[in-house]
Amino acid sequence: MSVGGFWAMGGYARYVWPCFILAALVFAWNLWAARRYHAAARLRARRTLAMAASEKR
Amino acid sequence: MWTWFYKLASPPHVYSLAATFAPWFLGLAALLLGYGVVDGLAFAPPDYQQGDAFRIIYVHAPGAWMSTFIYTTMAVAGAIGLIWRIKVGHAVAAACAPIGASFTVLALATGSLWGKPMWGTYWAWDPRLTSELILLFLYVGVMSLRSAFEDAARGDRAAALLAIVGVVNVPIIHYSVVWWNSLHQGATVAKLGKPSMDAAMLWPLLSMFLGFMLFFGGVLCLRLQGEVLNRERQSNWVRQALKS
Amino acid sequence: MSVGPVEVFLLVMRRELRLSFRRPEQLLQPLVFFLIVTTLFPLGLNLQLSLLRDMSPGVLWVAALLSSLLSLDALFKSDADDGTLEQLALSGQGLVLIVTAKTCAHWLVTGAALVLVAPLVAIALNIPSVAFATMMVSLAMGTLTLSWLGAIGAGLTVGLRRSNVLLSLIVLPLAMPLLIFGAAATDRAISQISPAGALYFLAALCVFTCTLAPFAVTAALRITLE
Repeated sequence: MSVGGFWAMGGYARYVWPCFILAALVFAWNLWAARRYHAAARLRARRTLAMAASEKR
Repeated sequence: MWTWFYKLASPPHVYSLAATFAPWFLGLAALLLGYGVVDGLAFAPPDYQQGDAFRIIYVHAPGAWMSTFIYTTMAVAGAIGLIWRIKVGHAVAAACAPIGASFTVLALATGSLWGKPMWGTYWAWDPRLTSELILLFLYVGVMSLRSAFEDAARGDRAAALLAIVGVVNVPIIHYSVVWWNSLHQGATVAKLGKPSMDAAMLWPLLSMFLGFMLFFGGVLCLRLQGEVLNRERQSNWVRQALKS
Repeated sequence: MSVGPVEVFLLVMRRELRLSFRRPEQLLQPLVFFLIVTTLFPLGLNLQLSLLRDMSPGVLWVAALLSSLLSLDALFKSDADDGTLEQLALSGQGLVLIVTAKTCAHWLVTGAALVLVAPLVAIALNIPSVAFATMMVSLAMGTLTLSWLGAIGAGLTVGLRRSNVLLSLIVLPLAMPLLIFGAAATDRAISQISPAGALYFLAALCVFTCTLAPFAVTAALRITLE
């Protein structure tokens, strides 16, 4: 298959490529959202620990 | 011998397991997905009927499979949390929901884009498409219900019950193409006996399926860490875990 | 004195019906809503009578669904607010039985009432009278199923703020198969084809839900009440 033929996808390019781009976006979002969630949870936990420590004093 | 299994109920153990496994799952997933995409897009022969449009299967089919697999996982994990009162179960269920919802959106969108050239329409109210859409609404319902409760533990239990009630939809999705005259094609791979697909097309597809599963495993581990922390931040082990 | 399950069932049913009829305006609200919503469609769409007939099963069913949803929030709300629900749960008389009685009473005053009013609405939507029997049977089964699905939603959202929207969000996806088969049955009856297939499916859904939902509702109440 030629390079031009590859991009054209037999005429179905405007259906095939958006699908793969969408898939990439879904994957990227999942990774980003999961990391962000973990970071927020760590922050919350640290705050809870700090509050508990200051209450003990 | 079964201690490894019982330890899975322990939040600190699960937290460190998830941290260890995530990079491996994601790394393997990257390899499998990379191969699948390259082989599927560039080297697999075009379909005699659908031409190059059939290549959408490489993201659509695994995405659709994941949407139901993750929902079932969510329901089972919720049931474990509900019946045996194991908090880790609820943490897993909560982590699954947004991931599953994203794959459902992917399945619906890629299916829609595939439907236009093949069936001439972006959407049809046929049983499989409709029940997949219902699945998306169920995901949203479960997530909304969980977040509506001020008491997080109660929210977990309510969401678990709703997930279990909704699991009825999953076999409907799978068997809709068998029970009704559907636009959507029947099972090509996930059936007993020889798959009705050519080997050159099948290998990248299987690689994509496995890649999607491993990706789910990796992201689940990442999310699970956050979920466990949120439920356990009053506990002592958290202090040690956060230092590392 | 030990009270048998039948007595408990009838007692709770009687209580529910008595309470409902104490405020008749509350009973009329879903019915009036049903009538108004079905009127909105022909007004908004400005269709010829023949086209209206084609749309009417769907319109009828969507209206029935939405009006049933309106009244579901109140299924457990007032009892939960004044603590009666907890007392019922603690009474040792089997929460499943009590829940069944409550839901049946709810269906009698909402779903069954809807079925009786449906012919009026059908006339407004230009549904031929030959389809009335199928329409009413399908609505009867459909609203009963919906009362149970709604009870699950109500049990899960009892005591939550702004529970109405969440309740609809939970119940409507589960109710979509109902809508599909109920509208299909009425549609077939209008076209004078046998609606048997759709009606059997609707009946299956009804039986399935009525058998399992009581346990789901009870589990939901135990979660939200404890």
